[in-house]
Amino acid sequence: MEILVCVKRVPDTAENEIEINSEGNDIERDDLVYSVNEWDNYAVEEAIQMVDKHGGSVTVVTVGDEESEEVLRREMAMGAENGLLLTDDAFEGSDGRGIAALLKAAVEKGNYDLIMTGAQADEGYAQVGGMLAAMLDYPYASLVNMIEVGDGKLKVGREIEGGNMEVNEIDLPCVLSIQTGINEPRYVGIRGIRKVASVEIPTLGASDLGLDAGSVGEDAARVKRIDYFVPEMGEGAEMLEGSTDEIIDKLIELLKSKGGIK
Amino acid sequence: MAQQISDRRDIDFVLHEQLKVGEFSKHEKYAEFNKKTVDLIVNEARNLAVKEILPTRKEGDREGCKFDKGTVTTPEMFKRPFKLLKEGEWVAMPEDPDWGGQGMPRSVSMAAAEYFNGANYSFMMYAGLTHGAGRLVETFGTDRQKSLFLKNMYTGEWTGTMLLTEPVAGSDVGRLETKAVPQGDGTYKITGQKIFISSGEHDLAENIVHPVLARIEGAPEGTKGISLFLVPKYRVKEDGNLGEFNDVNCVGIEEKMGIHGNATATLSLGDKDNCVGELLGEENKGMRAMFLMMNEARLLVGMQGFATATASYIEAVNYAKERIQGRHLTKMLEKDAPAVPIVQHPDVRRMLMNMKAYVEGIRSLLYYTAWLEDRADTIDDEEEKEKNHGLIDLLIPIAKGYVTDRAFDVCNYGMQVFGGYGYTNEYPQEQLMRDCRITQIYEGTNGIQAMDLMGRKLGMKKGKLVMDLMGEVNATISNAKAQEKVKPHAERLEEALNKLGEAAMHLGKSAMSDKLMEAFGYAYPFMEVCGDVVMAWMLVWRASIAEQALEKAKKKDVPFYEGQIKSAQFFCNTVLPATLGKLNAILATDGAAVEIDEASFIG
Repeated sequence: MEILVCVKRVPDTAENEIEINSEGNDIERDDLVYSVNEWDNYAVEEAIQMVDKHGGSVTVVTVGDEESEEVLRREMAMGAENGLLLTDDAFEGSDGRGIAALLKAAVEKGNYDLIMTGAQADEGYAQVGGMLAAMLDYPYASLVNMIEVGDGKLKVGREIEGGNMEVNEIDLPCVLSIQTGINEPRYVGIRGIRKVASVEIPTLGASDLGLDAGSVGEDAARVKRIDYFVPEMGEGAEMLEGSTDEIIDKLIELLKSKGGIK
Repeated sequence: MAQQISDRRDIDFVLHEQLKVGEFSKHEKYAEFNKKTVDLIVNEARNLAVKEILPTRKEGDREGCKFDKGTVTTPEMFKRPFKLLKEGEWVAMPEDPDWGGQGMPRSVSMAAAEYFNGANYSFMMYAGLTHGAGRLVETFGTDRQKSLFLKNMYTGEWTGTMLLTEPVAGSDVGRLETKAVPQGDGTYKITGQKIFISSGEHDLAENIVHPVLARIEGAPEGTKGISLFLVPKYRVKEDGNLGEFNDVNCVGIEEKMGIHGNATATLSLGDKDNCVGELLGEENKGMRAMFLMMNEARLLVGMQGFATATASYIEAVNYAKERIQGRHLTKMLEKDAPAVPIVQHPDVRRMLMNMKAYVEGIRSLLYYTAWLEDRADTIDDEEEKEKNHGLIDLLIPIAKGYVTDRAFDVCNYGMQVFGGYGYTNEYPQEQLMRDCRITQIYEGTNGIQAMDLMGRKLGMKKGKLVMDLMGEVNATISNAKAQEKVKPHAERLEEALNKLGEAAMHLGKSAMSDKLMEAFGYAYPFMEVCGDVVMAWMLVWRASIAEQALEKAKKKDVPFYEGQIKSAQFFCNTVLPATLGKLNAILATDGAAVEIDEASFIG
């Protein structure tokens, strides 16, 4: 099975103090520490496991600048066979539809049976997977946390309310957005890193993808971020301060006084 | 979220800005290890350390190792990360890939080792000692021994130890009594008792390979009659499969102050006269083999001590920024002034500044010592190679003795910053301090390191090692003196360096005279001043890079680079004046400590 997994380089929330920039329209991105989006990592692991069992190969693709190559290399060290970097100045400022259009072009340049994305990105809108499926006119399943491979079809499961599972059958080729918890992503070892150390990762720009530069990027974006702010603390919110014991004492006192506990 | 274990920005600074390790990739041997690969390695080492090893630190300490009828059970939580460590092939990072290593520059492996050891070094000792024992097999083993043992060791399938100490032979190894009797088939029957064996018995691997120091029957007394043997817990058949139990009996494990997760075993060899060993290297050359491996083992102990220090420092900084206590000193009299984070109090800043300066200086020193080895591996000029090895020989007692003493000081400050909470086991500070303490003792006590520095290294090659080191320090000084901000610190360093040269000459001469005892009474202070000067050198070197980098620094890097200059300023203006005082004491070489009558110690 030929699998394409769409991955994204995102600010690592475990490593950064996220601050809003001086213009107030984005976070301060200068020198943030980045890593691969957590959901995407689960998707890559699932793809690798499927290929291990059923044969084929895994390709990881991302849209970004040159630095985004590091997440492709990381996922290749994990076990993905190929990487593909979609990069062009014309891609900057693309909205979700623009990103999906770029990925669609990349899908059409290959011969993939299955396209996977993470269910969402740390800073994203959980929209690209669905849009990509619609543009490709492929069937789509979201929030997938179980996959079984059948003949020309997959059985995919998702968790629904109350911890119940729903299982659907879906025709290939299709797009799946993968939920965390579907597997336990492997750690990357040194051998894997050494293996990809000198690999050249191909890059594709607008013309390589057969796209009109004006059809993607900031000018083509129909969703534009106009503000970015930290909500003001509403009335009634109170930050308890002091040592852990002091905070617990205050909390118990408050809960008692408001009737929360007797 | 705050960083854990260590400061990634500072690790990157040492690797890429100070030592430029990516340049080793120009050499065929390290071609794979370009900057991108190095960054990926550090990322993944940190990932594994934070997610899988760090959670075992506290639990491993509480649970400890359990001894029952000859077997040792390690903390249950250790099993999974040990498996992951093997799977990721992190056990023998810099070794030959043909034997299961990963061929990485040693300087790069230091960064991974810092994260792993900082996460839980009592756990990492199982892998660390395996690596060291593997090096003995790789260096002194026959092809047969290598093919039977080495790959299994470097991949962590089997672990390794070092059996040196006996009840009557601690620092004085020459007194050891373990006996080896030739069997006529090339093997030896080994009998004796070995104590304080780190990772000596455990349940993490199916076999344990013990390099053992023993005396062949009839061999000379003292160190000249000591040979090195390979003694596995289970014998290894010629086809590589495990055979019968080799009569290596664990008779107990120590109850210790720290490193509870590591089993410190007493091993009794040949209780049933059925312990078989094979010679590793040549007869009676065991001590020589030991000495060859000592540099690496001592550098590892320096890393262990340092790893607790960097972890303690990170915890202390995070805590000091969050813990609200007391009004700002300038607003002490204002009743309504808010309480502030304790990082704003001058005495807390003094402690954090001390910790910062030592942690940074030590990180640079340890990575630099490993870098010297990488450099020697990648140059053809024999004289330059020899110079690099000489610098390593000279720096090792400092990288072990001075470093672990200062690492303990850092852990001590780390506890103090937490106040009473630091003394409780709710926070990691007390464990880090307990774990750190042994690094000042094992692998040659720090007193022995001082004697090694003064007695062996100082006079080696007629003082060439010291002259080479001074040459390196002077090169940094002359660069730094051309820079506006770093110049005054470089001048302080120069003053201390010159005086250190004077003290080295003085002690060298005194040791050759009837003042031998007095001179060695100052071996330890001499190691301290050497260490101080090396720290100042590293910090001035860093500050010099930082001053240049500031010209084009990105916004987020500005405080980092400015912090480098502050570290050098702090150390050169606060610590070096005391160093000069210590140097005066060394030059005066007062004899009280050696003259005093033993009867006068207790009245």
